[in-house]
Amino acid sequence: MSSSLEQSPFRRSAFARYRHALWLLTARDLKVRYSTSVLGYVWSVLDPLIMSVIYWFVFTQVFQRTAGAEPYIVFLLAGLLPWMWFNGSVSDATKAFTRSAKLVRSTSIPRTIWVNSIVLGKGFEFLLALPVLAIFAVLAGATLSWEVVFFPLAILLQAVLTVGIGLIVAPLVVFFRDLERAVKLVLRFLFYASPIVYDFADLPAAAQPWAAFNPLAGIFSLYRAAFFPTELNWSVIGISALISCAFLGLGMWVFSRCQRSVLKEI
Amino acid sequence: MGPVISVTDLGIRFRRNIRGRRSFKDLLSSSARRTRPGEFWALRGVSFDVSPGEAIGVVGRNGQGKSTLLKLVANVLMADEGTVTVKAGVAPLIEITGGFVDDLSVRDNVYLTAGLHGMTKAQVTQRFAEIIDFAEIGDFLETPYKHLSSGMKVRLAFSVISRLEEPILLVDEVLAVGDKAFRTKCYKRIEELLAGGRTLFFVSHNERDLERFCTRGLYLDEGTLKLDAPIKEVLAQYNKDYPTL
Repeated sequence: MSSSLEQSPFRRSAFARYRHALWLLTARDLKVRYSTSVLGYVWSVLDPLIMSVIYWFVFTQVFQRTAGAEPYIVFLLAGLLPWMWFNGSVSDATKAFTRSAKLVRSTSIPRTIWVNSIVLGKGFEFLLALPVLAIFAVLAGATLSWEVVFFPLAILLQAVLTVGIGLIVAPLVVFFRDLERAVKLVLRFLFYASPIVYDFADLPAAAQPWAAFNPLAGIFSLYRAAFFPTELNWSVIGISALISCAFLGLGMWVFSRCQRSVLKEI
Repeated sequence: MGPVISVTDLGIRFRRNIRGRRSFKDLLSSSARRTRPGEFWALRGVSFDVSPGEAIGVVGRNGQGKSTLLKLVANVLMADEGTVTVKAGVAPLIEITGGFVDDLSVRDNVYLTAGLHGMTKAQVTQRFAEIIDFAEIGDFLETPYKHLSSGMKVRLAFSVISRLEEPILLVDEVLAVGDKAFRTKCYKRIEELLAGGRTLFFVSHNERDLERFCTRGLYLDEGTLKLDAPIKEVLAQYNKDYPTL
């Protein structure tokens, strides 16, 4: 028998325990999501796919589109897939504590895990939906450029930003239930305020400096650079990185200040 | 050997009414010591040490902070003042069915819950047969958890948590559920664990159970530790203060 089997669980490092629990929770969410519906995995593809087709139809067939880039469906998907990750994570983070209240009350794992497992789970769904982007890129004849190497950087930045916002939203919702609906509203606004159906460069010149403070702008341009190298705008990306890190810092501060009260409340 | 649980000057307060005003400033302020209007101290000024292998019974009327104390030791609540230092792993029999997921099978649930309480996959596999055997649930391994009877759910949960190889065991009146035969089994399991040198922290209203398992008693009254003495003395004092009619 290996020595690891005899080792008592409390002797594992706190980090190893956290990582294991994070993995278990994420796997649990994916398993429940995929095993309780007939279509399972297809749903995480179908949702962004239908949305893309709708926007593609509205903006290329109904309206004469001038924004974005060719092929438009690839341009859309490259923004819509990461948006779904962000949107899903933040709106689920509003329910992070209420949904698993019983588990929070009975386990002593560091409480950030309830936010992190949501972001990780939605992140996996995002990765699993990427083949759709690849398929459409091939079908529409988009050329892959070397800038695809920035994809991991975009994922990292988005994870930092999303975790940061999740850490702010999750504990505050416990005390201010209104925040749950407010977040939904802000997300809907943010969908159109971020360069998803259009390009950052399509904005009026006067609006661009303001829009650059939306951290999603830089992150989406990093994703899009894989097919549209002209998208890269390093000053916007730099601002995104700074703001994302600031959100993470603020999130960690808010979370550590609130968690004592959160535990009493749930 | 030093104490395995060390509680110093512990205090925690709660809001008295749900509708009490909350503001961002309150939430984010660091001044934990100030008592705000509408709040009360559920526990205050509680200090004690527990040596490894001790079996401690917590006694008190309803609402005197027994479960709160247990949760503070389990680190699922955080103290507003003072410190709780727990030097070893804890197996908390508190809300034991909390981690189970309705839509997953019994097998998946065992791995999930045991894992969340710190067991590795290999450790769970090693104890899996024992867990299922103890819960008497062998025929339902692939059944979704939601289709189990409530008795089965509690049996399974107790079985998983009581197999955690942690040196400290926290028990919060979970034994009030389940049929007589299973309760007897649970008691035997707790005695086994005690014989194996575990530290026990036991909250109960049942004097027979307290005398059976515990050697030392903590008597909580109005949020303070009124008496810390051998369990017989503690129960005698408790009965003197609150005589049964």
